Amino acid sequence: MEKIIVCIKGVPKPETVKVDPERHILIRESAELILNPPDKAALEMAMRLKDRHGVKVTVLSMGPPNVLPILKEAFGLGADELILLSDRAFAGADTLATSRVIAQAIRTLAPYSLVLMGLKSIDGETAQVPPETASLLNLPSVINVLNIIYREGKFLVIRETNYGEEELEIEPPLVVSMSPKLDYFRPPSLKRLLMAKNLDYRTLGAVDLSLPEEILGLRGSPTKVAGVFEKVLVQRGELWKGEPEELAERFLELLRVRGFLKI
Amino acid sequence: MSETILAYGEFFEDKISPASLEILTPLWEISRSLQKKLLLLILSDDLKRVKEDNSLKRALCDEILVIEHQELKEFRDDLYSRVLSFVAREFHPYGFFFPATLQGLALAPRIAAELGVGLCAHVNALELEGERLIMMRPTFGDNIIAKLYSETYPIMATLALGAFSTKEGSENPIIKKFNLPQDFDWSSKMKVRAKRKTKKEINRLSVAKVVVAGGLGLKSKENFLKLFELAKYLEGEVGATRPVCYAGWTEEDRMIGISGVSVKPKLYLGFGISGAIQHTVGMENSEFIIAINTDEGAPLVKMAHVAIIADAEKILNYILKKLKS
Ligand SMILES: Cc1cc2nc3c(=O)[nH]c(=O)nc-3n(C[C@H](O)[C@H](O)[C@H](O)COP(=O)(O)OP(=O)(O)OC[C@H]3O[C@@H](n4cnc5c(N)ncnc54)[C@H](O)[C@@H]3O)c2cc1C
Ligand SMILES: Cc1cc2nc3c(=O)[nH]c(=O)nc-3n(C[C@H](O)[C@H](O)[C@H](O)COP(=O)(O)OP(=O)(O)OC[C@H]3O[C@@H](n4cnc5c(N)ncnc54)[C@H](O)[C@@H]3O)c2cc1C
Repeated sequence: MEKIIVCIKGVPKPETVKVDPERHILIRESAELILNPPDKAALEMAMRLKDRHGVKVTVLSMGPPNVLPILKEAFGLGADELILLSDRAFAGADTLATSRVIAQAIRTLAPYSLVLMGLKSIDGETAQVPPETASLLNLPSVINVLNIIYREGKFLVIRETNYGEEELEIEPPLVVSMSPKLDYFRPPSLKRLLMAKNLDYRTLGAVDLSLPEEILGLRGSPTKVAGVFEKVLVQRGELWKGEPEELAERFLELLRVRGFLKI
Repeated sequence: MSETILAYGEFFEDKISPASLEILTPLWEISRSLQKKLLLLILSDDLKRVKEDNSLKRALCDEILVIEHQELKEFRDDLYSRVLSFVAREFHPYGFFFPATLQGLALAPRIAAELGVGLCAHVNALELEGERLIMMRPTFGDNIIAKLYSETYPIMATLALGAFSTKEGSENPIIKKFNLPQDFDWSSKMKVRAKRKTKKEINRLSVAKVVVAGGLGLKSKENFLKLFELAKYLEGEVGATRPVCYAGWTEEDRMIGISGVSVKPKLYLGFGISGAIQHTVGMENSEFIIAINTDEGAPLVKMAHVAIIADAEKILNYILKKLKS
């Protein structure tokens, strides 16, 4: 087997997100970045395959330089090589413009057997980057995968569908997005986390990847935001106030009158 | 640009997915306003079975286009997306839309990247502003909706599950076979070796008549678990907000909202739920909403038919005590 490439994303920690009340946009500086939780499954799957087959694991992330601690976290889990894809020209990308950068970086890393990603990010949540990247690389993709086994030069991939589970046989290379539902996630090794402190990593920008700026970032993104608006709510129904016991009695009565409670 | 709008008809084991019929409702309206033909596109290994599916008889579209080939028996992402990209190139449609099912989420991005066009995710409302199609989805912040549009054609989007209700058409759509060229490449790098059906029902929450949901206002997992007792009395299912699932109070498949399930019960109870838009898009079509919250200003309180301003834990404890005695 050739190397495995894992793509991870730094996302704002849910409770730290602040929104500009006037412009309704994220105040990025206010947010603490964490590893996108579903990407833990991609890293864990990579490490299991590494344990069994001794392959090299390269981890990459596109984002501002402050995603570096997240890449180091991946090193703590056992990654061999870290790549930061960072450039002002990448900012404001939709999923297509994001996938162009990731796909191009992956091309420079050939040969590889497997690209692992999370099912979706918890901020943009589109789940689009893995299949879009695969399509740009002209590779097969499978989403929402529960397990991957490598045997006799082929991958056996178990995916969860809306109807059940399917077992697929696929020739490498391929792109997989992992379901977050894994049974076990290894903790990072403290020794490796210490090593990660002074670790070398590569940064690649638009020029390094020979990508023209007009297909990148906000400019290269065909999906545009026309605006945001607030859904204004007015009180629609009854407002009940009073002693909890009395309110609970009225509540029970209402459930009975409306036929929801038979006792 | 051509005169058509395409919708993906997910056809699995001889049945059209209800999600594919749901998305026809908003697309039909758009297609009438723009005077375009709405086509439902189905990939299958057997045209006869498509013709036999009764739920397609009144599908709200102008035509059902079937691509029939023995290689299409199993869903294989690379082959299916090659076929659909080919069809998109033939028709130059105004738009190409998918339900946000796992198949839709697997296919739409492959096709968008192949065609080099934009793709909007989990859209839950569509609106025409002149010629421009505005696609809406909730975004960060309380009750903030983002309006997106695409600069490229076909306009592509995945439409949120449960966001639209299926409507029947007044006429039977014509079912037509669409032939691909002789030399079309039907190969695939994927082979389906085995399939297992899920034993549990796909999701009882989405079809439940009564939903008893809880949020962070319940304060603890112990309190949250009491919702299961109440749900038993009401013959309902338990739902949750995202932070509650992340906190491990319950499994993620009970999450209601944009990242989870959409529900349309006759009765929805929200205990200690603020009503963030990411949650409410998944329950706003409930027939009767009761909110229990200490904060009069909470969005769910405003949306509710009855809002009980009180401590959720106390109310829950009291009614459970009463029901048990
Ligand atoms: C509220 C909101 C709505 C949006 N709606 C749309 C939309 O409708 N259409 C659209 O095209 N864009 C949309 N975007 C922009 C989109 O979020 C960004 O393009 C983002 O860079 C990638 O998409 P995602 O976060 O949805 O990733 P997903 O596709 O959900 O991520 C899946 C996996 O891809 C990998 N991955 C994703 N991003 C990176 C990265 N930067 N580096 C390394 N690996 C990565 C990770 O493994 C991740 O788990 C939206 C953004 C926001 C905040
Ligand atoms: C990309 C993205 C996707 C998301 N998807 C989803 C989704 O699918 N589903 C979802 O639910 N959320 C989702 N969220 C999160 C969502 O924005 C809200 O944060 C979440 O719904 C809030 O959950 P909550 O109501 O439990 O908590 P809170 O917002 O903290 O609300 C708690 C409520 O309890 C009330 N309360 C406090 N004490 C008491 C008491 N003693 N008795 C009664 N009431 C009390 C408070 O007044 C408050 O209204 C998403 C967020 C993002 C950014």
